[in-house]
Amino acid sequence: MEQLRTNDAIDVRDLDNKTLGENIQFIVIRLGNEQYGIDIKYIDNIVRMQHITRVPKVKKYLKGVINLRGEVIPVMSLRLRMGLDEDVLGRTTRIIILKQEQEGNVGIIVDEVKEVVTLNTNDIEKVSHGNNEDSTFFINGVGKQPNGELISLLDLATITLEDNY
Amino acid sequence: MDVSQYLEIFLDETKEHLQNLNTRVLELESDPENSDTVNEIFRAAHTLKGMAGTMGYKRMQNLTHDMENVFSEVRNGNLKVKPEIIDVLFQCLDALEEYTNNIQESADEGTNDNEPIIKMLNDILNNKTPDTERTKTPEPEKTPEKAAEKGEPWYDIHFDESQLTVLGEAVKQGKNIYGLNVTVQESCLLKAARAFLVFKSVEEQGEIVMSEPSAQDIEDEKFDHSFVIVVISDAKLEDIIKGAQEVSEIESVTGGLVDPDKITLGDNQSESEPVKADKKEEAKESAPAPKAGNAVAQTDASKSSNAPSKEKKAGGSKPVVNRTVRVDIEKLDGLMNLVSELIIAKNALVSASNSEQNNNGFNEQIEYLESVTTSLHESVMKVRMVPIESVVSKFPRMIRDLQKQLGKKMELYMSGEETELDRTVVDEIGDPLMHLLRNAADHGLESSEVRQQRGKNPVGSIFLDAYQDGNNVVIEVRDDGNGIDVEAVKAKAIERGTITPEQAATMTDKEIINLLFLPSFSTAKKITDVSGRGVGLDVVRSKIESLSGEVEVKSVLGEGSTWIIRLPLTLAIIQSLMVVVGGEKYAIALGTIQTIEDVAVTDIKLVQNKEVINLRDMVIPLIRLSDVLDVESTKSPEDNLTVVICKKGEKTVGLVIDELIGQQEIVIKSLGKYIKQCKFISGATILGDGEVALILDANVLI
Repeated sequence: MEQLRTNDAIDVRDLDNKTLGENIQFIVIRLGNEQYGIDIKYIDNIVRMQHITRVPKVKKYLKGVINLRGEVIPVMSLRLRMGLDEDVLGRTTRIIILKQEQEGNVGIIVDEVKEVVTLNTNDIEKVSHGNNEDSTFFINGVGKQPNGELISLLDLATITLEDNY
Repeated sequence: MDVSQYLEIFLDETKEHLQNLNTRVLELESDPENSDTVNEIFRAAHTLKGMAGTMGYKRMQNLTHDMENVFSEVRNGNLKVKPEIIDVLFQCLDALEEYTNNIQESADEGTNDNEPIIKMLNDILNNKTPDTERTKTPEPEKTPEKAAEKGEPWYDIHFDESQLTVLGEAVKQGKNIYGLNVTVQESCLLKAARAFLVFKSVEEQGEIVMSEPSAQDIEDEKFDHSFVIVVISDAKLEDIIKGAQEVSEIESVTGGLVDPDKITLGDNQSESEPVKADKKEEAKESAPAPKAGNAVAQTDASKSSNAPSKEKKAGGSKPVVNRTVRVDIEKLDGLMNLVSELIIAKNALVSASNSEQNNNGFNEQIEYLESVTTSLHESVMKVRMVPIESVVSKFPRMIRDLQKQLGKKMELYMSGEETELDRTVVDEIGDPLMHLLRNAADHGLESSEVRQQRGKNPVGSIFLDAYQDGNNVVIEVRDDGNGIDVEAVKAKAIERGTITPEQAATMTDKEIINLLFLPSFSTAKKITDVSGRGVGLDVVRSKIESLSGEVEVKSVLGEGSTWIIRLPLTLAIIQSLMVVVGGEKYAIALGTIQTIEDVAVTDIKLVQNKEVINLRDMVIPLIRLSDVLDVESTKSPEDNLTVVICKKGEKTVGLVIDELIGQQEIVIKSLGKYIKQCKFISGATILGDGEVALILDANVLI
């Protein structure tokens, strides 16, 4: 929820000087055929796929833990988290390590990391949450790229939130 | 004056003094005539007042001031210690503690003036009953006279010409020249910081011309316990002395007028630069001193020696102040991480050596590395260890209060306060212990009348014993009260629906007593302030389990109960047995493992549809780890089973594994908050090849 609030705060500030907006950098990832954006400020690190030690008796989307330079970091499958199919591990599969203030870092598995884009807050449209666990549930905005392409912006707070829904 | 940088020291010291006061006042209650105790209390109260004053906490200062007045009367024999006075004093200490807590949270003492307490203190002073006996002559004020007799130390200072000129000028202007002799307490840890505060205070009222040793040396702590300052000022000597005395840990300040004619002209030219110019610089430079000092581990805070010496001070002239270890936890953690890495490196070497055989030099290296890491580990652990005394020393006071609250007579006996535990454990253990003690006082002990009827000593006894047992520290809370009424617990459990009557019939007493640890279970017939609200033993247990410890209870009806807490000495690095289950590597803490057995499939029997084995006349249930961990065992069903026998308390189980790897020292890492649903995984560790292995908590499986 922390991130949600920060995002709101940015929006409030933008209302004050609408004309300018603010530039935010997003990392564009691919999940199946869809592209999603992740605010770069939440990203600690991107590492190649490596051996994940399975942890028994946990939620299915929690794939286990990895060793990231001496730290044990839990890793979740973004696909399973969003109710998609099981990951197909390939050459481009990456683990994105997200910075979390409260719970410590967590990794998410994505099919590919494509590029970094800069979006102006004026080009970002808020979307409200869907109320069930389909993929729109994890989206809090849609960004319009200069080339006209749209990318869905992931709501990391919801993704990393422990789900009790 | 900005004092925020001293806040940390202030808080630490205040807490120490308050704790000291609490203990001493308790002592005073049982032995009102002990003048050593009174002196000690007076000194602590005085220091506290000075410290609060320096830091600008006026309310705290006022309260301590009035408290000090009472002690002063007691010390001079004008006032006798009575139970009412003790009560007020305790209220006073509570109020001071509240101030301290406020300061800790917000750097502000709060707005509570505590007028009722101040009024009570003043009442005590006004209604003082003259002490007819007057056996004791009032303690002479030790320090001031003594210092004065020694001859004025400031005449020993060698001044240079420029300073003499300054002094001459001052005399012409009609200003006074004073010499001050300041003595810092021997136990003072940060002499330079104290001296700096004295300089500050003196400078508010005058101009410091000269000091002996030089300002630079004082700043570098190059002085024994006293130093001399020569000041030019318009203010009165008493005011300057008073200001300097307010600084805490200053033993004494004496002063006098300096006769310029008697001053000796020194030949020491090295000190010829005017000290005055130095002052501003010194003010800046000495500021970081307390911080640095704070982070340094006072290794000479002799662990074993301070505890016994604190016990009895009947003949002691100078009390030994507890020299605490103040180490920045963050720094320790950094050190700890380094050690972890070293061990990981060692593990890497070990796994490399397994692949390359017949390499002696390599093995030697490993052995060397192993001995280095082991000793480094030990020394770091030692720094982290603190005696549990810091936690348990508040309990006598608590029992005293409970005694009044509950109207029962009881006595607390403690032993093993010097037992050391990891700092993190010591910080956490206070609440559970307090709860168990309260429980013992409230539920355990009977009222005096009942005790008398039963032929027991009307004064109940509660024991708190701590001792080290192998790699564990055991803390026992024992009382000679009623013990746990198993039938009452059973009835209650059935009434609450926790168990069915049928279940109850088959349960052992021990199992029934363990029901007490379930959430919201209280057998207290009436709810008191002290306990019985049903939030208790389950919290105690979960707290202790979160520290990787365990708690058990033994009880004999009519004779009392014993609560036994067992805690590991260290939490971060353990010896473990590495095993393979379904192709995955797991670590099991060696502490829980009894033996490892090879069991033929034919030896497995079924009891109530559960697999058991008969091992040396013991029936041991089997747990197939592959089932628990949701993996396929790689062994064929006909093969002999490898069984790890684990024991927790009285219970024993056999864990069926696929393969043994061997013993290994592992560094425990947390799994993070995301993966907390899994109870029997207590953490993870990183193996030599960089892979993560999970640590199985056998205690949960049993």
